[in-house]
Amino acid sequence: MADSEKQILSAEMEHALLRATLDNMLQGVAMYDAGHKLVTWNKRFVDYLEMPEEFLGTDRTFSDYIRYLGDRGEFGDADVEEALKKRLAMLDTSHSFERVRPDGTVLEVRRDPVPGGGFIAIYTDITERKKAELALRKAMEDAESASKVKSAFLANMSHELRTPLNAIIGYSELLAEDAADRGDDTGLADLHKIGAAGKHLLGLINEILDLSKIEAGKMELYVERVALTDVINDVKTIVDPMVTKNGNRLIIECPADIGSLRTDLTKLKQCLINLLSNAAKFTKEGAVTLRLSRANEGDGEADKFVRFEVIDSGIGMTQEQVGRLFQAFTQADSSTTRNFGGTGLGLTITRHFCAMMGGSIEVASTPGKGSVFTIKLPDRGKGDDVARKTPAAAQAGAASSITVLIVDDDNAVHDVLSATLGREGYLLLHARDGAEALEIMRRTPPDVVTLDVQMPKIDGWSVLGIMKSEPALEHIPVIMLTIVDDRNLGFSLGASEFMTKPVDRARLTALLRKVAPAKKNATILIVDDDADVRAVVRATVESAGLKSAEAANGRLALGWLLDNEPPALILLDLMMPEVDGFEFLEKIKAIDSLAEVPIVVLTAKNLSEKERNFLTERTLLVLNKGGQPIGSLGAALSALARRPHGAAAAND
Amino acid sequence: MKILLVEDNEMNRDMLSRRLVRNGYDIVMAVDGQQAVTMAASERPDLILMDMSLPVIDGWEATRQVKANPSTGNIPIIALTAHAMSEDESKARAAGCDDFDTKPVDIVRLVGKIKALVN
Repeated sequence: MADSEKQILSAEMEHALLRATLDNMLQGVAMYDAGHKLVTWNKRFVDYLEMPEEFLGTDRTFSDYIRYLGDRGEFGDADVEEALKKRLAMLDTSHSFERVRPDGTVLEVRRDPVPGGGFIAIYTDITERKKAELALRKAMEDAESASKVKSAFLANMSHELRTPLNAIIGYSELLAEDAADRGDDTGLADLHKIGAAGKHLLGLINEILDLSKIEAGKMELYVERVALTDVINDVKTIVDPMVTKNGNRLIIECPADIGSLRTDLTKLKQCLINLLSNAAKFTKEGAVTLRLSRANEGDGEADKFVRFEVIDSGIGMTQEQVGRLFQAFTQADSSTTRNFGGTGLGLTITRHFCAMMGGSIEVASTPGKGSVFTIKLPDRGKGDDVARKTPAAAQAGAASSITVLIVDDDNAVHDVLSATLGREGYLLLHARDGAEALEIMRRTPPDVVTLDVQMPKIDGWSVLGIMKSEPALEHIPVIMLTIVDDRNLGFSLGASEFMTKPVDRARLTALLRKVAPAKKNATILIVDDDADVRAVVRATVESAGLKSAEAANGRLALGWLLDNEPPALILLDLMMPEVDGFEFLEKIKAIDSLAEVPIVVLTAKNLSEKERNFLTERTLLVLNKGGQPIGSLGAALSALARRPHGAAAAND
Repeated sequence: MKILLVEDNEMNRDMLSRRLVRNGYDIVMAVDGQQAVTMAASERPDLILMDMSLPVIDGWEATRQVKANPSTGNIPIIALTAHAMSEDESKARAAGCDDFDTKPVDIVRLVGKIKALVN
């Protein structure tokens, strides 16, 4: 066979192969030449777009196709010529978008330019995927709201139940005091029974509330340095009457030099009281021992812990009973409830508390012999205990005085940050939405705020905006947290430098004073396409004794920057013709002489998803909620909190 | 010795005041945070027992205002809240409370705390 024949054959084969590929693809394909004429398409394209033969039969251009779709009502109320203009403008770059067709199917449309001119359009039917996504999201929202409703109900219910219970307990005690004065022993005994039953019920309600708080992620950790002998004395006073009631002895084994531990005092006490009162309940004429010791499981600072053992000589449990022990509302045996009372919540709560404090709880038991419950709590950051200044110890010491407000509607984030930051000794405050966050900040101003960008009702950007307009909150450093994978820590637009329109003149003036306090005649570059906005800003700038320069879009601003000395500050609008704020930011990143120039973004309050993402990538710190590690967050928080004031405020 | 009892719930006010009187204290009462601030200045009590969830202004804010006023700032304040949650205790201390106890009160324990603050 001659070479040319081979070539012809292979060209034919290639063509056949291409045809077969096109016709068997799951996607619709349409190819256009350099003149935007439709040259090739496959069957899926015809099916997905319901293109009739008579339309495709003749020479058609991309414009014909778009107009045809428009006439058929595929773009809804949108103007067809506008739609066409937009699409034509995008043809020389790869782009993709989703389109919902009138029949409800969702197509992902992707257009890519091909070498030598022309482009290819690929249509993927993503209706099922969209449906599944929607169903999943709805299921998650339903589950979340059900859980929230339940927790709120329990919290309110507990409060409502406690109020009358207070009266029952209080008045029974008041009457008991009267009865004691009168020497009425019968009355006294009965009144004590009412009081005791009331207190028991109160204990159950408190446990239910605790558990609902834990499940709702609202249980907070307050880490402080706790002297262990003080804890033991407090606990002993409380449990002594319970232990002796069953004829038991309470034995405390605690080395005199046990020292202190950084942990949550109330929760530690509650755990120990839980275990000791359980031990007392299930032991008669025996001994209940609380033993404390320090131990190492390795050489590192992280392997040190304090062990609390509660040992009883009571009824003990079988292996099977032990297995069920930590489940909510189950006790070792259902007959236990009848014989010994209790909700079966105490151990569940204890286990949750131990986990929150970074520790663990274990149980060993022999039926008829007794049980040993062991709580291990990590002993980290011994800063002020020993005169050893390891970096870790120094850091933990510093962290202990730093309060961090975590603002996020996602419980998982609270859990992750609580675990990480709590362990490092930060004091944590929690808010689930913007309104709650602001309320907490006004009451107890934190040293640092971590702010979720996307939250229901008031979102992160709005919270930030409000914070920056309140003198008491304005200086608090903010770390924006959001779900983005692309992190850009180097260049920070800085959450401290963000303003919303309409421009608050007082705020702008304050900001200008911070940025250019000493420099007389410093120039502020105003980049905004809206002449009215420029006029307002210019007036503010000039009344602050500063010079202003103006540019109506990013391109003009870049031109100005090339011809002039770097300004003291750039006030930047985002949505502008020609070169917009985003592109402007991208471009000036490359210019070294402008690296030090602070930029304040001026924008309308409602940012699009794209804008938010872009800005978020450039804010102080970006945390990828989905992934770890966030170990660096602690260091970043410390650094921020130690800074006298917010990012731009070098000279207040 | 005079104690200002700040409590919005009538039954709690009645109970606690009677039990404190029984223990030998003079009691004056306020029913909201604002009244507490006013009465702290006008009555000059030796100690304030402050409920935290109060109408008009809450107990935290009332505590801050009492502590911020030079003429009342040295009056010891014991916060009383419904449930022994550590956040309540921390919040109360952050607001300037000298001690903290939970309701329903254990009168022996409360009197112990009062005595510890006022010698």
